[in-house]
Amino acid sequence: MISLIRPLRLAGLAFRQLVRHRLRSGLTVAGVAAALFLFVVVASLQRALDRATRRTADDATLVVYRQNRFCPATSRLPVRYLDEIRAIPGVREVIPVQIVVNNCGASLDIVTFRGVPPDQLTRYAPEIAVVEGSIEAWQRMDDGALVGELLAGRRRLRAGDAFDAAGVRVRVAGILRSPHPQDNQIAYVHLPFLQQASRRGLGEVTQFNVRVADSALLDTVARAIDERFRSEAEPTQTHPEKAFFSEAARELMAWIGLAGWLSLAAAAAVFGLVANAIVLSTRARTLEYAVLETLGYPAGALGYLVAVEGALLGTLGGLFGAGTAAAYLSWRRLLFGNDGQTLALTADPAAVLQGLAVAAALGLLAAAWPAWRSAHRPVVEGLKS
Amino acid sequence: MTLDSFIRCRGLTREYRRGPEAIRPIDQLDLDVPAGEFLALMGPSGSGKSTLLHLLAGVDRPTAGRVEIGGVAVNELSRHRLAAWRARNVGFIFQLYHLVPSLTAFENVELPLLLAPLSRRERRARVEAALEAVGLSDRMRHFPRELSGGQEQRVAIARAIVHDPPLLLADEPTGDLDRRSATAILDLLRSLGRRGRTIVLVTHDPRAAEVADRVLHLDKGRLLEAPA
Repeated sequence: MISLIRPLRLAGLAFRQLVRHRLRSGLTVAGVAAALFLFVVVASLQRALDRATRRTADDATLVVYRQNRFCPATSRLPVRYLDEIRAIPGVREVIPVQIVVNNCGASLDIVTFRGVPPDQLTRYAPEIAVVEGSIEAWQRMDDGALVGELLAGRRRLRAGDAFDAAGVRVRVAGILRSPHPQDNQIAYVHLPFLQQASRRGLGEVTQFNVRVADSALLDTVARAIDERFRSEAEPTQTHPEKAFFSEAARELMAWIGLAGWLSLAAAAAVFGLVANAIVLSTRARTLEYAVLETLGYPAGALGYLVAVEGALLGTLGGLFGAGTAAAYLSWRRLLFGNDGQTLALTADPAAVLQGLAVAAALGLLAAAWPAWRSAHRPVVEGLKS
Repeated sequence: MTLDSFIRCRGLTREYRRGPEAIRPIDQLDLDVPAGEFLALMGPSGSGKSTLLHLLAGVDRPTAGRVEIGGVAVNELSRHRLAAWRARNVGFIFQLYHLVPSLTAFENVELPLLLAPLSRRERRARVEAALEAVGLSDRMRHFPRELSGGQEQRVAIARAIVHDPPLLLADEPTGDLDRRSATAILDLLRSLGRRGRTIVLVTHDPRAAEVADRVLHLDKGRLLEAPA
């Protein structure tokens, strides 16, 4: 039975070799780190998109939009639809929402205002928690804003601050935290205030958000709503919230799909960098491995030493790259936006772990061939090299 | 021929092919070395000295014939078993020392012990004793580039004896050293020989051969004198 002590000692020897060849190891680790930075950013983005679009059993929100108009600037629905939607069987709560964004296209710096009746927000979304300021203060302030904590973090906003975007100036009445990611990325303001500030008519809103009594009723209720307003001048198109995101943020999703290729390129870069470093290193140390075998090191131990060096290079580069990506994303708190839909680009722990695992595995894989070569080269040939 | 030979070679042959030409650096060689003997193998360049040493160490395989060391048929062991056998039984000293440049003297000497079931404390004690034996206790933390040629060879000797092998094989250990360093290395080998180890020294330097119990001459892969 192979004891664990010998592999650990040999791993220590491999680590010492890396540390003592600082320039070579440092350059390789830096290259791997750069590739892993990209990999983790893209993986975080993909996971954020997955969370925003993958339907779950807990989903119970519908978004009612103007048919075929998925930009907040063009979707206009009469407020009078509110009572009629509320009367549809299966609807638990409904709230009219005016959306104003500072950039309707694809952007990295989105500020989204959601105008809602101030007396209805807590009834519609009781899960919202105010972590700074208070909801009462917001209800009292006509130009008050309840800012999602991600948006507040990115803009460094505190209760009492004022800020403006999209030509709308508001005062921060509170910072909110919600289990729904979209809530954390926007600012709730009073509906009449936003309608006036954005020069929209008081009788119009962008959309209605509908909570159904049971998630199994999502599709049934959506069909009933669209059926009810089919013959109106402003017909509706109703989707579950996540499906609506997919529909409205097509450009963003296309971008992110394209970014997936960057992940592959990053992985290929990791493989190439580690393979290059290990191949050059083992070529330069052919004699050294032959000497080690003469000292009694089994061929398998030589292969193991090479493989561990590859895995260590990948893992160290992965740690630096993934760590830097996590720190950068936490610092920048980027918000991707497209047609009023936002996607928070935060450091995703699963993406960071995935990046580390990929880096270590690719490092190991990149070292496989040089390890095999080192373990199978005849000793005498190595001693004469 | 003695029944208690520690090293016993019979009909040992190593043949290479270079195109149509067959080259035999070792040709039908018989050799017996009793345990504890210090044997010097002399001969001109290309006489097969180093090849014989490689065959004795099991780092090269004979084309024909048999090598037995301590009762073990070395030529019949697999590569894996050969490595394990060397780790316990052989210390090898190279002409150009072949220390690992990125490791300190201490770490180089410790290399054979990393394979042994020894604690860190036991390894440290053995490495320090080996470096003490070669007079380099004060150079333990030095890297090979910080040592002279003679000091490097002494570290290599410490590496060869640290696991206390019964057989020491030395391939021109003074070939790259100045006269003074060479004398010191030969004295060291002689003192190691007196402690009961079997030593096979390959050299073309007559001064080096003087420290041995017996000298054999090789030419064209054959021994010029009858085995003792």
